[in-house]
Amino acid sequence: MSAIEFSRVSFRYPTSGPVLRDVTFEAPAGRVTWIFGPAGAGASTLLLAAAGLAPGLTGGSLEGSVRILGQDPGSRSGRGAVQGKVAYVTATPYLQLSGMAESVFDEVAFAPANIGWDRARIEAAVPEALARLGIGHLADRIPEELSGGEQQRVVLAAMFVLRPDVWLLDEPTSALDGTGRELVRAFVRAEAERGCVVLFATEDAELGLALADEMVLLDEGSTVARGIPADLLGTELMWAMRAGSTGVGELARAANRLAGERAAHLAPPYPLTVEAAVERWR
Amino acid sequence: MICFDQVRFRYRRDPVLRGLTFEGRRGEALGLFGANGAGKTTALRLCMALMHPEEGSVTVDSRSTAGLGPEDMVDLVGYLFQRPDDQLIRTTVREELAYGAERQGWAPERIAAAVAGALEECQLAGVAETHPYDLAMPKRRLVALASILVTDPKVLLLDEPTALLDRTGRALVAAIVRTRVAAGGTVIAVTHDPAFAIEALDRGVALEMGQVMQEGSPEELLRSGVAGLELPPAVVAAQRAGLTSKSLRMVDLASALARHRS
Repeated sequence: MSAIEFSRVSFRYPTSGPVLRDVTFEAPAGRVTWIFGPAGAGASTLLLAAAGLAPGLTGGSLEGSVRILGQDPGSRSGRGAVQGKVAYVTATPYLQLSGMAESVFDEVAFAPANIGWDRARIEAAVPEALARLGIGHLADRIPEELSGGEQQRVVLAAMFVLRPDVWLLDEPTSALDGTGRELVRAFVRAEAERGCVVLFATEDAELGLALADEMVLLDEGSTVARGIPADLLGTELMWAMRAGSTGVGELARAANRLAGERAAHLAPPYPLTVEAAVERWR
Repeated sequence: MICFDQVRFRYRRDPVLRGLTFEGRRGEALGLFGANGAGKTTALRLCMALMHPEEGSVTVDSRSTAGLGPEDMVDLVGYLFQRPDDQLIRTTVREELAYGAERQGWAPERIAAAVAGALEECQLAGVAETHPYDLAMPKRRLVALASILVTDPKVLLLDEPTALLDRTGRALVAAIVRTRVAAGGTVIAVTHDPAFAIEALDRGVALEMGQVMQEGSPEELLRSGVAGLELPPAVVAAQRAGLTSKSLRMVDLASALARHRS
């Protein structure tokens, strides 16, 4: 059994046509799986369905089967069974702050306190979680007054403190500066190595390439390819599906289209990284 | 066009801006770079007169923000918030786009034409009658952007305009910035997106602890590692491969690469 299993899942919102169409894939523990596709392809909806929030929170209708840690996250018993084990971070983490905490420390302590951890355990766990996300210096600050990137890390810390088994991450570095991006990248990698299943969506192909073991390519709600990111990102398929590639891949393809057939060294598969490109172009 | 002179500001306890001085010129896209918490978004809020300096002054097109509120700036300044939800209030995209022009008392025909233009430019014509909240977040950001383009303000303040956007959306935003700058507008953009900085911006200032630490071209700032950012990998690859191009923008790099070794 994989940690996350989608079997023939279709979904539509109350006012939309189909957003997911017959999606089947599984994401195993200890691996990082990247959902990629152009805007509107359904990646965020897929994460909502995995979290049991679509249709639970969003409304709409779902067909097929979603299993997370063997449970149906859309059912009451399934939700109960995975409570505290699934961390879902939206692309707008500021909406996930509790609104009840007067400091970052209290925000991260909020969930542990709610499930009855004693004070000593909380006081040990919270500083550790803050340190892991590089925000120890923000412990006394008011969460609502932090910058977008700082809030993004506070929300990650508030989930990490419970040591989830599953990470569902929607654009986990969207508001971060370069340093924060590096830190979160390393954090997610380490969580997979701890044995977590990580399912994440990003439009940042550099991040996906660096982080993911497998890519699930979506187009208009359907799975059109699955594979190792480094194998898929250099192909024309990525462009046919309007998903695109890394910046280096984009440059390589643009040049190939200008040069035409006279430039064999520019033909696909396109290089994806600086090192690979320099090797081919020099 | 925009002038910060020795601006100091704090929200509650800790100072956020500590003597911030910079200017944004006419016909220029200026980037504000800096780590999370450096004061970039705060600077944009002061430009819009949403808040006021504790000391020092902010002027926009020779108009000091002292004593003014955002309603006094809307004819001059369009502000794309970091969170599009903070500025979407109507029930269809078309109505949302009309709001600013209605408030400024434009005639209905003029509003309709300007809204149609902005829908077209931001590739939103297909969702004109949709509720903004029924759109995915990336599309919502484009709706918020379109809504500030309708009245064609001289100054655009853009807070992370490419965050969450896909490749097509990012290219669209860069093109919109270049169009405004070519027409003499001033754009100030807060960004952590190195590729956008190279494509769309002319100059940048790097903020640290509420002060300008460095000023230069986007290339210089990225090369020096401002806010932990780096030059886009495509630019690094092109330079290491020995390409010489007119600029570092993708279109010029691609034509240099196509000519290289041929």
